[in-house]
Amino acid sequence: MDRRLFLKSALAGTALGAFGPAGRALAATDLLWMTWENLAKDDYLAPFLDSHDVDLTKTFIGTDDEQFAKLRAGGASSVDLITPGLDKVSYYTASDLLQPIDFDKVPNAKLLYDTFKKTDLGKTDGQTYGIPFYWGINPIVYRADLMDEEPDWSVFFEGDKYNGKLAMRDYALEGIMIAAMYLGIPRDEMFTMDDKQLAEVKKVLMIQKSKLRTYWNSIGDLTNLFATGEVVCAFSWVPPYYDLKEKGLEMGMAKPKQGVIGWCDTIAVPKGVEGARRDSVFELVNYLLGPTYGKMLAYGGPYAQSTSAARDEIDPEQQEKIFIKDLSVMDNFVWKQNPPRYNDWVALWNEVKAS
Amino acid sequence: MSLRVGTLLAAPVTAFLLALCVAPLLILFAYSFFRVDFVAISYDPSFANYAKIAGSATYRGLILKAFGSGALVVAITAVIGYPVAWFLAKRAGAMKSALLTLLLVPLYSGDLVRVFAWRVLLGAEGVINRSLIWAGVTDAPIQGLLFSPLATHIALTYNYLPFMVIGLWLAFESLDDAWLEAAADLGARSPSRFARVTLPLTFPGLVAGGLMVFVMVVGDYLTPQLLGGASGITVISAINDLFGTAFDWPLGSAIAWTMLAILMAFFAMGAMLIRRSSLVGGS
Repeated sequence: MDRRLFLKSALAGTALGAFGPAGRALAATDLLWMTWENLAKDDYLAPFLDSHDVDLTKTFIGTDDEQFAKLRAGGASSVDLITPGLDKVSYYTASDLLQPIDFDKVPNAKLLYDTFKKTDLGKTDGQTYGIPFYWGINPIVYRADLMDEEPDWSVFFEGDKYNGKLAMRDYALEGIMIAAMYLGIPRDEMFTMDDKQLAEVKKVLMIQKSKLRTYWNSIGDLTNLFATGEVVCAFSWVPPYYDLKEKGLEMGMAKPKQGVIGWCDTIAVPKGVEGARRDSVFELVNYLLGPTYGKMLAYGGPYAQSTSAARDEIDPEQQEKIFIKDLSVMDNFVWKQNPPRYNDWVALWNEVKAS
Repeated sequence: MSLRVGTLLAAPVTAFLLALCVAPLLILFAYSFFRVDFVAISYDPSFANYAKIAGSATYRGLILKAFGSGALVVAITAVIGYPVAWFLAKRAGAMKSALLTLLLVPLYSGDLVRVFAWRVLLGAEGVINRSLIWAGVTDAPIQGLLFSPLATHIALTYNYLPFMVIGLWLAFESLDDAWLEAAADLGARSPSRFARVTLPLTFPGLVAGGLMVFVMVVGDYLTPQLLGGASGITVISAINDLFGTAFDWPLGSAIAWTMLAILMAFFAMGAMLIRRSSLVGGS
């Protein structure tokens, strides 16, 4: 049993058995996509599978790091398509795990928003290895009924009104980015901070720690902390804002003027994918950047695709919800990048938490 | 002949353990001498990672904190578990089976369920705070009940108490009451009987239960992470960060092996103490 067959058998639980007729089991091309569960819902992919002779197996990841570890440990030969973060693509290219995107086979890539066309992230030596796929922001979410005014990053570093009522994600990259934005460190220096700047960052992070109720690790847990009133304000992902609003809580979402952390995941093709499989993979990539998938993701996610393919088919309210109504919002984004001294960042983060 | 059959029967299990337990640990040990350059492992052996651990107040502090927590929870569970185990072995009578089952009931639920149950009890809007406010003991919720080292150690004690009790209960079960009667006949008073007969004879159970609790507390990072608040970092979560986000497998391996070496030293000490105890053939 080769590795591909073994992996597919082991992943039978997540196999795409529900797609189409049984005859698909004999389809010419088998594909394996390593991705987040919320991106590969059956109804999102059904139109593609109905019109292509492809048998798609999905394997779900829990974290970006887990995905990289699997590929780095030799999984690249088993997988046809992966979903790394835009800031993590350099990990894969440095490990020689990816092949360049064949733009001739991905016409929908022409519809990428300018910010994604221009970014150097996901590229090596001028070639794109991770094509931006979908994106969003990580804002401040707060209990509007328990706070007097809309907060910005300073709420985590100044004053004592909300001491013991704040939460921060337990993630070195974003935690240090926020401290840097608060300190006014220029964006072009943020990911290459020198020792002096990192010392300043550490100093304010120690102050921040004294104000926190906790560091959060899962978004479900943070939602729970908001709901029970343990936390009134947190650096967050978007879902608790909508989830708790729906349940009747008065929630607020702040996008600080000092900068908002933007995230973007890409789709990338491992190096060994060739021939008919490669053609089918790029057809799938093109579908994932197209209008049918984009519309379903906008309402089902709700998340914004990296292309404008579906934008005109989405109503203004939903556009607002996924931040594509006024695209100037992107001007204030600080896209996550992989700092060259990331080990030092992680060490600093642990020093602060252990202090 | 029977020895040969026994060896043959043990061979698959031995091979299984060697392949799935010992070999990964040895690989981890080898990695602890390498270093990482961005995402590439440099297979150039050195003691740099161990020197880094020795020179880092953070990692030293986290290792110390882990063993400190382990020792504290062992002490608390021993004090609570000792009379409970004595009662189960010597006084429970026909209720013994039912009480032993009851003791293990918390273990039937998952770790997360127990953590969230503690949050319901200790939270600002939790049962204890509401009761205290209702009783007029305090005007505002006591924030330190949850997301604090106190909350962490309460939950750790609750989680691992059964393991201490089981170890002690087995020791009490094999304690022959005739020894205590003989001591009493010879004029020993109650404190003396406890110190010179009961404690030495149940000591192996105390050590076995203590080691079990100690190892599990040192390795538990979920409870401190979810109940410890901003101070909930553990050495295990630091290792997790190094293997995950930082991709520094060599340093993560070195910390893991440092922990393992210290734990092995504790086990060796425990085994020595048990061997020397009077129950197993000491003087």
